[in-house]
Amino acid sequence: MLEQGKIDSKQAILLLISLVLPTAILTAPAITVKQAAQDAWLSIIVATMAGLLIAALVTGLSLRFPGKTLLEYAEEILGRLPGKMVGLLYIWWFLHGNALILDEYASFLCSALMPDTPVIVFFVFVTVVAALAVYSGLEVLSRFNQLFLPLVLGLLLVVFLLAAKDMEVTRLLPVFDKDAAAILKGAVIPASWFGEIVIFALLIPFLDRAEEAPRVAVTAILICGLYLLICILVVVMIFGPHVSARWIFPTFNTIRVVSIANFLERLESIAIAVWMFGGFAKIGIFYYAAALSSAQWLGLKDYRPLVAPVGVVLVALAALCRNIVELLNFLATAWPPYALGLFEAGIPLLLLVVARARGKGGRGA
Amino acid sequence: MVRFLKPRKPGMVKQSNQQVSQSRESSLPDTSWKEQVLSPDLDTNLAQIKAILDRCSDVMYREFIFAQNEQIRLALIYTDGLTDKEQISEQITKALALEVAMAAPGQEISKSRALEFIKQRGLCVNEIKQTDKIREIIQAILSGDSVLLMDGYATAIINGTRGWASRAISEPEAEPTVRGARDSFVETLRTNTALLRRRISSPNLKIEVFKLGEVTNTEVAVAYIEGIVNEKLVAEVKSRLQRIKVDAILESGYIEELIEDHPWSPFPTVNHTEKPDRAAAMLLEGRVAILVDGTPFVLTVPNLFVEHLHAAEDYYERFIFTTAVRVIRFFSAFISLTLPALYIAAVSFHPELLPTTLLLSIAGQREAVPFPVFMEVLVMELTFETLREAGIRLPRPLGQAVSIVGALVIGEAAVRAGLVAAATVIVVAFTGIASFTFAYSASIAFRLLRFTLMFLSAAMGLFGLITGVALIGIHLCSLRSFGVPYLSPAVPMTGTDLKDVVFRAPLWAMFTRPRLIARQNQERQEQNLKPAPPETRPRG
Repeated sequence: MLEQGKIDSKQAILLLISLVLPTAILTAPAITVKQAAQDAWLSIIVATMAGLLIAALVTGLSLRFPGKTLLEYAEEILGRLPGKMVGLLYIWWFLHGNALILDEYASFLCSALMPDTPVIVFFVFVTVVAALAVYSGLEVLSRFNQLFLPLVLGLLLVVFLLAAKDMEVTRLLPVFDKDAAAILKGAVIPASWFGEIVIFALLIPFLDRAEEAPRVAVTAILICGLYLLICILVVVMIFGPHVSARWIFPTFNTIRVVSIANFLERLESIAIAVWMFGGFAKIGIFYYAAALSSAQWLGLKDYRPLVAPVGVVLVALAALCRNIVELLNFLATAWPPYALGLFEAGIPLLLLVVARARGKGGRGA
Repeated sequence: MVRFLKPRKPGMVKQSNQQVSQSRESSLPDTSWKEQVLSPDLDTNLAQIKAILDRCSDVMYREFIFAQNEQIRLALIYTDGLTDKEQISEQITKALALEVAMAAPGQEISKSRALEFIKQRGLCVNEIKQTDKIREIIQAILSGDSVLLMDGYATAIINGTRGWASRAISEPEAEPTVRGARDSFVETLRTNTALLRRRISSPNLKIEVFKLGEVTNTEVAVAYIEGIVNEKLVAEVKSRLQRIKVDAILESGYIEELIEDHPWSPFPTVNHTEKPDRAAAMLLEGRVAILVDGTPFVLTVPNLFVEHLHAAEDYYERFIFTTAVRVIRFFSAFISLTLPALYIAAVSFHPELLPTTLLLSIAGQREAVPFPVFMEVLVMELTFETLREAGIRLPRPLGQAVSIVGALVIGEAAVRAGLVAAATVIVVAFTGIASFTFAYSASIAFRLLRFTLMFLSAAMGLFGLITGVALIGIHLCSLRSFGVPYLSPAVPMTGTDLKDVVFRAPLWAMFTRPRLIARQNQERQEQNLKPAPPETRPRG
């Protein structure tokens, strides 16, 4: 086995939350509100449903092949060569997806904290931290996440509570102003974030109780959905749909408006500092997925020698993207069919269908 | 091929090793006696022991004649200063040379019966042991026992007559408490085991003794409570101790450094205490204690990070107060790690972190300061560390002088002279004070890492600081102490053990022992111990 460590269900839930939430909470509100205006919260509900479906698909598929990761059972289902092809695609997606996340994360930090520093500095440092976590193994990565994610989640709740006095429920009206198509369109991008849960297929063999995987995935998706829902409601209630849609990071602006008694104000730096841990974790998980699956693809005994090369590729890929506007544009247009259509739903569905047709896999075959 | 990556020629290495060992052997004293046994002739034995203990002026030889048979010559060997002289003269020499006659009046004890007779009725010492190995005899003499040799017997009797001047049990200096036991371990192993035994008078408290250190032959005891401790842990501790092949063990720090899991980490993964009550509490939670002769510091393993933020008193004061104090301690730990770095980041990169009036006030103070804030904080921190080190090192009577110079000259005058801002002094002073609120061993790690964070923060502001904290977090997450994750029970989370991390549950609610440490015997006490006045107490 490539990975000796085991993680418990609590850690798995937190890992999956980190897998979805840190970047989703940053950019999802703007993109969703742009499509569905004040009905964006309905989009999130729809997206959560989609996330649940993908979670069911992935865990269902994985549980048919206990002890095997996505790449391993892809070969078993499709045969050696097509399986390897699928594996290669996934490795690319883990790398590219991570590069986009890294880009999003670093650009945000750069613009929010130190606008004069070249963004590549952020790429390198974030990657080094993530590399250390990945190198130390899944156990350490999940412990790190368990240590800091509660801080992130707690801080978000506190900020939303503190911002309550600026909220205006009427800004959510009229409900169903847009047609169903717009709401669905708004749901596509958050759904693609929820769909990143497909990485869970790589982690299920390392759960100490693999049979709890569906419960873990569903819990994580529901928590993420709840957070995103609250986040969007708060953003829209404070700024209204038109202003929210024009910002790049509306959640961040929400934190900015918090001002209590002339003392608790300008919390954004602290919020960013805490939220950074979430970003480290998310990039770490994608990074881990890329390193682990590359090692499996190449048939190595240990993924550790691949940590440094994967990191270099990651930084290089992230550096390809020129600016945040281009990135957000890519996320809003190309990402849904690319990620959601192909990797998060398409291939797993294909695998499930073929596995059923060929009668591969233990349970229900 | 790259030449410099190749190992040196194996032949060369071997040769030089041989040379070294040869030269060492020629200079070392003859050690062939280690395998030898006694001869029946007293004079030969005495001569041999005298030859081995040549030029050891503290070893005493007393030859005398057995009271009941003039033919039987006896010799007593002991080390002056390590033995109880009164005991030797009363219970050995006087007893054998005079009083034994009363045991069997008028009877002549033949040479063949003498050994049994002396062992059974002659010696009044409580602790005796028979041996014929020269090695054991020498060891006994040098560790304070006295050795009785008899003419005609190739055997010796070792008498337990240890008794040396040792420091009295005094108040703990390194771990003072307001409430709780006032005794502390001393430098004598037996006294220390006695302090433990007095607290845990159970047959299950096992104390096994090893000898470590090729030259010093230091006694090292491993203590644990059978039935609570995880047997695998005991085996692991013993095997790690047996791996140690060094010339000397002078302090438990030697052992700590030779058995710890992560030798490169700044964080201690072996805990130590000088309080017997704390050591007893550790044993009762399923830990293993390692007592070393010659030091009042007892090691306990496995060690969790939170232990360093706990104090013995936490369990003696009421739990509400303890919890509040622990919050302060955890906050202090955070402060002592990050406050200077946060200050640097806020002043030089993120002024928006500070409220406007505070920012203006700091900016006003800094107006005349000629250094960047990083240099200012760095210099003040180094000054503080110097003062602290001086405070430990210098002779007691000079302490006041240093505190006057430290507080007045450096604090007051530097601010007046405009070399540092008053805010910087406050930050550094608060950081220093905060680092005194928890265990010294952990605060050392925090002090070191504080400087790293200051550098990161000076280079990249809040981003650098958080990157550093994340790296430290990852490092902490990867540590283990004797198989137990260092950050447990917080991470990985074991629900029931959260009763004793920041929040300290009331004693009547602590039903279980720490799950990852005392694996096999979890139940600590009855469940319905919550005290209540009689009328509300549930019946049955």
